Order: sequence, then structure tokens, then C-alpha cells
Amino acid sequence: MSEDRPTRDPGGEASRPPAFRRLLGDAASALVFPLIAILISFVFGAIIMLLTGYDPIAAYGALFRGAFGSPLALGRTLLGATPLIFTGLAVAVAFRAGLFNIGGEGQFYIGSITAAVAGVYLGSLGVVGMVLALAACVLTGFLWGAIPGALKAYRGAHEVITTIMLNFVAILLATYLALNPFRSEGLVPGTEAIDLTARIPFIGLGLGRANYGFVFGLVAAVLVYLLLWRTKRGFEIRAVGLSPGAASYAGMGIGVNTVLALAIGGALAALGGGIEVLGVYGKMSIPFVTGLGFTGIGVALLGRNHPVGVVLGAVLFGGLAAGAQEMQFSTDVPLQLANVVGAIILLLVTATKLVELVVGKRARALASGTHLERGLGQ
Amino acid sequence: MTERETGEGTAGVREEAPVVLEMRGVTKTFGPVKANDDVSIMLRRGEILGLLGENGAGKSTLMKILYGLYKPDSGEIFVDGEEVTIHDPKDAVSRGIGMVHQHFTLIPPLTVAENIVLGAEPRRGASLDLEGAVKATEELSERYGLRVDPRARVANLSVGEQQRVEILKALYREARILVLDEPTAVLTPQETEDLFAVLKELVADGLSIILITHKLGELLGVSDEITIIRDGQVVDTVKTDETNEGELARLMVGRDVLLRVEKGASEVGEPRLVAQNLVVLSNTGARAVEDVSLEVRAGEILGVAGVDGNGQTQLAEALAGVRHIESGHVYLDGDEVTRLGGDARQERGLAYVPEDRGTKGLVQDFKLYENNSLKTYDEPPFSRFGWIFPKVMRRRAAEALRAYDVRPPDPDARAGSLSGGNQQKAILARELSGDPGVVIASQPTRGVDVGAIEFIHRQLLEQRAEGKAILLISLELEEVRSLSDRIVVLYAGRIVGEVSPEATDEELGLLMAGRGTEEKSA
Repeated sequence: MSEDRPTRDPGGEASRPPAFRRLLGDAASALVFPLIAILISFVFGAIIMLLTGYDPIAAYGALFRGAFGSPLALGRTLLGATPLIFTGLAVAVAFRAGLFNIGGEGQFYIGSITAAVAGVYLGSLGVVGMVLALAACVLTGFLWGAIPGALKAYRGAHEVITTIMLNFVAILLATYLALNPFRSEGLVPGTEAIDLTARIPFIGLGLGRANYGFVFGLVAAVLVYLLLWRTKRGFEIRAVGLSPGAASYAGMGIGVNTVLALAIGGALAALGGGIEVLGVYGKMSIPFVTGLGFTGIGVALLGRNHPVGVVLGAVLFGGLAAGAQEMQFSTDVPLQLANVVGAIILLLVTATKLVELVVGKRARALASGTHLERGLGQ
Repeated sequence: MTERETGEGTAGVREEAPVVLEMRGVTKTFGPVKANDDVSIMLRRGEILGLLGENGAGKSTLMKILYGLYKPDSGEIFVDGEEVTIHDPKDAVSRGIGMVHQHFTLIPPLTVAENIVLGAEPRRGASLDLEGAVKATEELSERYGLRVDPRARVANLSVGEQQRVEILKALYREARILVLDEPTAVLTPQETEDLFAVLKELVADGLSIILITHKLGELLGVSDEITIIRDGQVVDTVKTDETNEGELARLMVGRDVLLRVEKGASEVGEPRLVAQNLVVLSNTGARAVEDVSLEVRAGEILGVAGVDGNGQTQLAEALAGVRHIESGHVYLDGDEVTRLGGDARQERGLAYVPEDRGTKGLVQDFKLYENNSLKTYDEPPFSRFGWIFPKVMRRRAAEALRAYDVRPPDPDARAGSLSGGNQQKAILARELSGDPGVVIASQPTRGVDVGAIEFIHRQLLEQRAEGKAILLISLELEEVRSLSDRIVVLYAGRIVGEVSPEATDEELGLLMAGRGTEEKSA
């Protein structure tokens, strides 16, 4: 049948790039948009510094030195990036299923309190206790994430609303547990310190306090990649996310995949919380770190909801936070400027029209893949 | 402004009516694709210009440029000989250009009159003059024979009536150039005739009309000139009374086309797909399919004719297992499958080509190999122990895409980047390459170009020759007639009659309008 019509490109087979070059090409085009957004943000930051009488070149130099300039600086960056990898992945997995998981913050808290409590009781088991505590985080996070999933799948409650509301519940629940039933005798309000042997060890190599949590993050990113692109479940999650109609026509269950995607997201964010407790603080003190779950949303968007992108995005935000201290120390530019740059990056990534103004319409095509509008719609 | 007189060109003829619209050298590119390449068209006062082309040829792009929805890369537009720049639809309307889109832009809960004046409401003081709106609507509808009740709610109107409202809307805004995009896609043969009568009335009154279509036969009856577009370029502009269907098809596709497929005899065997007293609800809970019984036997194509929205969608979905069956039974090769889902029915050899390939048949943002495995991703060799094997999927997809002439046959191409015809071929490749026993094809050629239609028809006939049972649901009467061995007509969710493919248009048209009184004959 096919020889009925003349073929348009005679060299079709031969001229096709090999898989590896295709991969590189895909990666390059995926990176263009975030890179443009980052570049514009730094230009904005420079303008702000010029207007307020600072030297942007010196400031950015210090920022870079503080983030990547020495093993110690790099360690700080990795330390900051670790929880963001997990909260970013939590958003990305849900996003692939067409769901907007705003519950990363609460899920992170659930994981933190789980690890803090389990770590105290299992601390005497050493490394085994650590592994068990982290497994407990995965479990509680999974169940916590399944709540908005089930509400969406079987009651039609929009996941944006339910995950936001569950954040309050999770934060207050974790705070209550840390201050009441599991409160330590010590002066600092919070849970008891976990046995040192059950904590996540430092990487060493001159990286300062950076711990193996970062490596766990990389492993999690690989696992998420395999889940999404190499398993039946991932195939279904992506199909449901991109086209619920076609997915259900093909016999896939929309409800099951909705619940699972949010539950897996919850497990990832909770694991991030557990790793933060077992790797950095050794306990959950109140007030606890805030905002890591929300920054994860930005990390996922910047990373186009791809595990590799999420890791890169997390390192960028971790680096911004780490470098800001050095910037303030050596150039007097306030810490908050790094936040401003980070905020502008997020603004540009989410508001594609702004980048369009600068680099033209092509930007929108480059930004696709996030399906932001679809995530919010329906 | 211009160095040339408008209307000059073909030997400077001046005996004809003045040119009201000219688009000259319009070029528009989307990335690497030239959707319009140096396209020029000319429309004279009081004439109907047919714009003919396959899907994806660039007709719609050209009209969207005219309506201010796209900005051309280059080219000029002249209205009444004056060069104009059209920034947005508002601009187009103010220049007297009206557009009737394929998908209506009416607000169902509002009345006809309210819809017509919306955005340009007559006022009395500070308040809306609804009586004025009704009067204006009545005047217009009387003047052009566009019968419609101004006080009726749009939600209660038939598709044909809604289309009249769309036309009235354009006329109310004093359109002198009317563009109709595939207006007959949703009409019965009788409604189509009514529409064309109205269009002739309109041009007699001095309006000019551009009629976009991919149906050759229609244009011959109604247009004055036909401009044929292929691959974004104007192939030719011909006078309607100097051409014929064969020539138009050749110009449109670029080669000779079999307009009517040759259907050989085939051996009819046992019933393979049987439905008994099916009742199926629509999304709103209304009974969309009412007591339908049918039987498709091996080696035959059973055609289901009917006007859009008479239960075809729900019937196909129920048979395919993706819509709940309220009551009744479905049998596949003798086994009852009424309570089985689409998945299980597919494993038992049921192939389903859904009518909505964009949102139901394909995941647009999936690659072709992923789409090719959309139903079999969980079976070996594509999957084992929960893992999937993209390499195997890719290899199988490459074979299937080649066998079904999908262009490009690149398993890594995004489904959404393909033209409608190629998307449909990709669906056929997936559904038919698994060697199914029963095929449900719901509007398999909707919005598909002539070349692809021919290919799809041949595939269906091939399946028939191999002893498959095929249920063909289509709004295209010609298609149902040329492919089917038997035809049933669906009206208001019921089968109102069964006829042979040799039945006349009138006979079928009456049944499609629900006016068939004769008994169901076997």
C-alpha cells in the first residue's frame, strides 16, 4: 500500500539521528527555557543592585563562590538541595498525572515527625534503625498523600484545595506531637535527640555537613525516572495526566492512578522530611524549617517535572541559599537578594508570557511539557 | 497605496462584479511548517468562492488570517480595493467580514435574539432593548428565509437551526463577506439543501461568501469559483461550471483518486458482534440509546447512518465497553461481554476506532510508539513483571506505522504533531495490527483528507474480506453507502429502519429526520 504515493524524504531512515544524539537534543531543548528564565532573573537582580548602589559583579562572584567555590561551599549547596529534590519530585510525580500537589509542605512535616519519633525509639538499632525510620516516613507519607488522592478520585474534591488544607492539618499535627506526647526533657522545645548511630552519615570529602541524604535524593530521582518511563504504572500515570479521555478509553483506571500519583508524591516529600531530621537536625524542634515544600513546587516547575530537571533545580535553589550568605558577608548585599532572584525565576517559569516578551513566542513552545494550565484546569 | 488596480490579473477582465476581497501572496509559517505559502485568493461581489483542500492544506489558517486570529508573515489583504491590516476579529467584523465557525460559538441558555445581539446589543437608555433585539432578528430572518424563532432558547434548537443563528449573528453585524467553515459537516442532506438555498439568497442580495470544505460534490452545486489549496499553496482556481469531481479531486490530492471504493463480494458468516435491547445513558442521564438491537456478521460491514447526536457516540462506546450499559446485552463471538470493560473486550478481539481521535483515540503528547502500545502496554512482549520495554514498543510501532502508511513513520514523533489523517492512520495501525475479530469504527474519516480516506476505506474493506465483522458509524452518508453491506439508521437513540446501500438519498434522509414510518425490514 505504501508505494502508492511517492515518499517525500528518501533518506528518512539514514538521516535520523541515533538515539543518543536525539537524547542530547531533547535535553538541550528542555534546558533552554529554564536557562533563559534564570538568566533574565540574574539580570533583574543586577539591576536592583545597581539601583541600590551595590556592585552586581562582585556580589554574583561572591554568590557563586559561596555556592560552588570550595568543597565546603559545595557541601552547603548539596545540603540545601537535598530536601528540595524530594519535595520537587513529590510535585513532579503528581504533575505527570495531571495533578497539582500543593501538599508537599505538610507531607514533609508528616515525614519529619515520623522520623523524629521512630528515630528515637529505633535509635539503638543503629543503621537498621535509620533505614526502618525512613521506611516509616515513606509509609506515613504515602498514606497522607493518598487522602487527597482518594478525595479527588472518588468524591471529586479538587486536589489543590485539599492538599493546601491538609498542609495546616499536617503542620499542626506534627507540632502537637512534637510538643506534647513526644516532647523531650531538654530546654529546646521539640522531640528528643536521635542516637548518633542512627543518623544519616556525612559524606566527608571536605564537603562539610553534607550527608548521604543527597545521594538518597539522587537515587530517588532515578527511581522516579524508572517508575514514570519504565513501568506499567508510570505509563498509566503519564497517559492519565496527558489525556484522561484517551487513558480511560484504553482501559486505564483514572481513580487508581490519581490516588497512587498523589500517594507516591506524599511518600517522596515525607522521605525528604525524614532525611532532613535524620541527616541535619537529629530531632524535630519547634519551630521547624518552613517553606521547603512550597519551594519544591518551584523546583518541579523549573525542572519541567522531570527527575533530572528537579535535581538541577534543587541544586540551583540550594546554591542560591548557600551562596547568599557569602554574598552578604563579603559584599554587604543583603541575603534577601538571593530570594528575590529565586522568586523572579519562579515568576518567569510560571508566567511564560513574561519570557515571551523578552525572547519571543518560541519560548512558549519551549516551556510546554509542564502543562501548567492543564494542572490547574478541570 | 498599490501600484496595481485590484482585480487585475487574469487578462484584466472587467466584465464581472467588483472584487470585494483579495488576499495576495499570503505566507504564514509555524516553525518549520509553511501553512500558507504565497496564497492569493479573490472574491467578487455576489459570488460564492469555494475553498477546497485536504485537511491540513492551509484553508483554516488562511481564514484565521483573514479574521485577524493569526498575523501573516507576509502578504496583503484588500477589502473593497483598499489595503487593510486586520489585527483581531473585532477589526474583521468592522470591515464587514463575518465568520461561521465549524464549532458554534453560541451560548445555549440564552435565546436566539440574545445570542444574535450579544456584544452589539441595542440599548434603550442605559438598559438592554430586548424587544429591539427580537425585532431585528425577525427582520433579518424574514429577509433571507432563515427561519428561526427569536425567542427560542438556543439549547433547544437543532444543529441546523443553530447554524442559522450563527449566520444571522454575522448578518446582524452587517457582514458583507461571509466565511463558512465546513458548514455541512453536521447537517442532513435536506438541511444542507436548505442551507445552500439560503446562501444563494444571500449572494443574490449582494453578499459574498467563502465556503470552506473538503467535500467535492457540494461545491459543484453551489459555488461560482473554486480555489484549490494543497500543502499550503494555491494549486488552481477554476470556474465551477468548467470542472468536475474527478478534476477537483485530482487537484486537491495531486493524483488520481478513487472516489468510490470498489467493494468485492464477501462471504458472510456467523454473527460476531450482537447487541440486544441496549439502553445507554448519555452524560446528562438522558436515554441516548433506546432499545437498540443489531447484529454484525463475519465478513460484513454494517453501516449506522444518522445525524450527529442521535446516540451514535453512546452506542459505539457501549459496544466498545467504555460506557456503562443500563440494560440489554452485548455478545462478542457468542460470549456475553455486557459487564466487561474495554480492556477485556479488546483482549477478546474487539478493535475500536473512536470518533474523537484527538482526546479519546490518542494521547496527543505521547510519542507514536507510546500511543501504539496504549492498549497493549501491559501485555508481553511490551511488558513483564510490571516493567515496560520501550525498545520493543518502538520496534513494533515502526513496523505498524510503515504498514499503515503513517507519515512520518517515526515512532518518536509526537502524536499531536501529525495531521488528522495520519493520526487516524496511526489509530488504525494500533487497532488493526492486533488482528481483531470485530471492528467498531466510529466516524473513521471525520476531518481526514481524501488520500487518507481512500486508505482507511481500503483497510476496512480488507478487514471485511478477511472475515472480520465491522460496525461502521458515520455521519457521511456517502461513506456509509459505499462501504456497507447493510445500513441501519439511528434516530433519537432508536434504530428507525434498515435499508440496503442502494437506497436513495430521499429514503435515507427521511429516516435520518425520524420520518421513516415503514416497518423495520430484515
